[in-house]
Amino acid sequence: MTVIQTKNLKKVYNPETIPVVAVDDVDLAVEEGEFTAVVGPSGCGKTTLLNMIGGLDQPTGGTVSVGGEEIGRMSQSQLTDFRLNNIGFVFQSYNLIPVLTARENVEFIMLLQKCDKAYRDKRTLDILEKMGIRDQMNRRPAQLSGGQQQRVAVARALASSPKFILADEPTANLDTKATESLLDIMAQMNKEEKATFIFSTHDQRVIDKAKRVITLEDGRIISDENR
Amino acid sequence: MIFTLSWKNIWRSKRRSFVVIGAIVLGVWSLIFIIAFYNSFGAAFTRNAINHEHSHIQVHNSDYITEPDLKYQLKDVDVMKVALDSLSSIKSISARQKINGMIASTKTSAGVQIYGVNEQAESITTGLEDQLVEGTYFSKIRRNPILISRKLADKLKVKIRSKVVLTFQDIEANITSASFRVEGIFDSKSPKINEGVIYVRQSDLNRLVNDKGIHELAILLNEGAEIDEMKVFVSSITDNTVRTYKEIAPEFNLMEESSVMTKRILTVIIMLALLFGIVNTMLMAVLERTKEIGMLRSVGMKKRSVFSMVVMETCLMGLMAGPLGLLLGFLTISWLSDRGMDLSMYADALKEYGYDAIFYPEMDVVTYPSLMIIVILTAFIGAIYPAIKAISLNPLEAIRKI
Ligand SMILES: Nc1ncnc2c1ncn2[C@@H]1O[C@H](COP(=O)(O)OP(=O)(O)OP(=O)(O)O)[C@@H](O)[C@H]1O
Ligand SMILES: [Mg+2]
Repeated sequence: MTVIQTKNLKKVYNPETIPVVAVDDVDLAVEEGEFTAVVGPSGCGKTTLLNMIGGLDQPTGGTVSVGGEEIGRMSQSQLTDFRLNNIGFVFQSYNLIPVLTARENVEFIMLLQKCDKAYRDKRTLDILEKMGIRDQMNRRPAQLSGGQQQRVAVARALASSPKFILADEPTANLDTKATESLLDIMAQMNKEEKATFIFSTHDQRVIDKAKRVITLEDGRIISDENR
Repeated sequence: MIFTLSWKNIWRSKRRSFVVIGAIVLGVWSLIFIIAFYNSFGAAFTRNAINHEHSHIQVHNSDYITEPDLKYQLKDVDVMKVALDSLSSIKSISARQKINGMIASTKTSAGVQIYGVNEQAESITTGLEDQLVEGTYFSKIRRNPILISRKLADKLKVKIRSKVVLTFQDIEANITSASFRVEGIFDSKSPKINEGVIYVRQSDLNRLVNDKGIHELAILLNEGAEIDEMKVFVSSITDNTVRTYKEIAPEFNLMEESSVMTKRILTVIIMLALLFGIVNTMLMAVLERTKEIGMLRSVGMKKRSVFSMVVMETCLMGLMAGPLGLLLGFLTISWLSDRGMDLSMYADALKEYGYDAIFYPEMDVVTYPSLMIIVILTAFIGAIYPAIKAISLNPLEAIRKI
């Protein structure tokens, strides 16, 4: 099943002054269960593409459909709800809620989704366990290493059972070891939880772990390979 | 969940939260103190005016009120006295014969109101005897004793036992003069009495004006007695005009109104200062969390929830600080209302306006809940702008690199 479908997707920054074409005519389909890397040199449009797919940025042209629904037609508040129930986000700088513990952070989106407590508790512990951070679950983000924080962030995104997880350079702030283990656990979740991942990266070691690699240059897809 | 998040957010920057809470506590405390102090002014003024000048209720012939003439005397004085004497809510009644006249010493003269009083009744009703600063109270001088104020004595340059001459019209409008001897000099708490009232024995005045008519009944009630009820009762037994002290002296109402107004203005000023502080700090708190708020919006938190989170955080601080300030204020004025605040260094100036030097700050209990509501309202209003700022942040900010 296709979870993401873009048609002639285009983004032009500053169309009135000095136009910058960040994403140019991108047609892309992502199937359920993919483990896909979006790669390319700095400024090639990776972040812009992911933001549009995630419903955070408005395209200048073309469409984005998620699970068959065209998100460009949605109002602001519909989009907010849509993101909540369909998309998981992992950010480069973790962006956990500093006043909550790891466990509470993982539970947080399910709370927004109004899941009942029994389900939340079970799911939270289950995901923390699988992500190998259950021992740290009562710590606050400041008491965790970068690698651990990013695992919590992935756990948070996973716990809400989204259609897919978007991660813009999730390993950019991590050292080699943490990068490797994060990618391994993501790959494992991709297998065990059937979670669909789309992440952008510069890092060759990360690219090597991807099953599909989409390469952008100047906002266009120049190669798309499955391995 | 929003509640938990707000609550936890308060404690992430303890110093800032303590500043906000401290400011609210201080604001509430100072407001209570100022209001209570202000109230004590009004209470002191009223107390003095009742106990030393107007009493609670006065009865006059209705014509006497418009034209204070000797001939407009009270009707059925005896009936009233019999009816009122038995009432337990009445502390004392002074029946006065009042006429206007001139007092002259060897040096100078002055226009005065001459009160012919029953010595004992007057002493209980207005505490005249206790206000003597020199001489004696109608006990030493046999023939025509007179009590005058310190102020008048200074003006006339007379001392105890000095001779003064009173001139006035008798009941047939003949000019009459009689010499009196100063027996006592008083210093009343009422500026008006110090200015131009002198006291003589009623029997002496009766003899000189050749009439026994009474012009004024001043009724002092016991503590806790219902003034308005008493007025209704007195009115029912006489067709003289019966008035409460508030009706006699319009300055009471004026004072009450201006005091309510002043207290409102002070409240608004203090709350505005507080508001400014709250807006500032919460704005800082919101801007510091730009990324976090952007993340919350990205992952699907509604604008409404983000808004409530900021408002809740502020209101919670108000909810903590408000009662603390109220308690502190309550303790302060409880302590002061027992002890009294001594402002004797300003005694002279205060006396000019009829005040004692000791004040007893007090505040109505119903003021506490309304202050609490005002504080919460202030916190709420103060939170609105920062909350709007928070929801107008672009969620994209979060996903961007640092
Ligand atoms: N808000 C913006 N306003 C104007 N131009 C922008 C904006 N954001 C991005 N751009 C431009 O759009 C192009 C694509 O940027 P984008 O951030 O998507 O690239 P990227 O592939 O994510 O780069 P990096 O690897 O450095 O993260 C760049 O030329 C960039 O300068
Ligand atoms: Mg980028």
